[in-house]
Amino acid sequence: MPPDIIWHVHDFQIDPSRPLYEQFVEQIRAMIAKGQLAPGTRLPSVRETAASLRVNPTTVMKAYQELERLRLTVTHRGQGTFVTDEAEAIARSRRELARTAVRRAEELAASIGLTLEELIALAQEEE
Amino acid sequence: MKPELNYAAPFAASTSSAELTIRCRGVGMSFKKKNVLHDVSFETEKGTIVGLLGPNGAGKSTLMRILTGLMEPSAGTVEVLGGKPSVETLGKLSFLPDRGQLPNWLTAEQWLGYASGIYPDWDRALERQWVRKLEVDASMRIATLSRGQEARLQLLTCLSRRAPLVILDEPFTGVDLLSRESISSAVAEEAAAGDRTFLIATHDIREMESLFDRIVLIGGGTIKGVYDTEALRANGLSVESCYREVFA
Repeated sequence: MPPDIIWHVHDFQIDPSRPLYEQFVEQIRAMIAKGQLAPGTRLPSVRETAASLRVNPTTVMKAYQELERLRLTVTHRGQGTFVTDEAEAIARSRRELARTAVRRAEELAASIGLTLEELIALAQEEE
Repeated sequence: MKPELNYAAPFAASTSSAELTIRCRGVGMSFKKKNVLHDVSFETEKGTIVGLLGPNGAGKSTLMRILTGLMEPSAGTVEVLGGKPSVETLGKLSFLPDRGQLPNWLTAEQWLGYASGIYPDWDRALERQWVRKLEVDASMRIATLSRGQEARLQLLTCLSRRAPLVILDEPFTGVDLLSRESISSAVAEEAAAGDRTFLIATHDIREMESLFDRIVLIGGGTIKGVYDTEALRANGLSVESCYREVFA
């Protein structure tokens, strides 16, 4: 059974000085959160992914295992890996992504001596 | 800043030898009075892709020849697939020599037919798969192939055998971008099965850095460092920046 999607090199932005497995997890997680990868989508196998992205297969396998641990994907023996149908798992992942984004924004605000609320208010002030 | 050594614990004796495909201990090689290799020690684990990186004249090709059993080291011990490199271990490994030449009076198809007769572990199904995926036109005479086409045919010759160890010496020399990409894609795909080990010497770090599990840096005939790539990256270093720091 062929996968529902095929990865292309340009689907991922890879920084060669950060662990690759982390970056695959982050980016696939974001695709699921955005709905770009719909529930039930069949993902390419580790072998297909390694070949199309030209990356180490062990790294891909680790990323897939982590996605499964996060309950964002499920593997059906002999059929492949699918994006979960469980809305709660996706909602939980979205919340975590939102919290991380807010934490980053707070750090950014703090770096210019503001709280996040002050930063937003200031940006919205009329001239 | 020098990268911290031992991310890969290269000389850890704890790894069980059953899982190792290559084990070099204090390997030295001298021609006349010239020391080409000295105290070379490293290991590769089964099912991994290992990059052998270093400047020209570092001793990479000599080391690869020792691993294939084509040369005997003057010092140290070498184990390949559980034995001393010999005719027997050579039969279990696939070697792509640097600037190797295929018989150019044959067509690719004739060459593959001939190769399938030489190598007892030749797999016709693998051959058909790689002819298709590497887009080799089997009807062409080898003499008329471009460098990229010839490199793909050489790789195809290596991958059509069920050899558990594949050693590639500079598979990219003079090879165009798209052929380089299809070669690294083929290596990634073959490694995914988990039963083959790849040792690859290359200068093309950018094309291959995402493929390696481990890099062995060799310079001036000796090992400058052995690193697991994901551990390097966890410390904020790319393979390329590590290479620069070690050899700059």
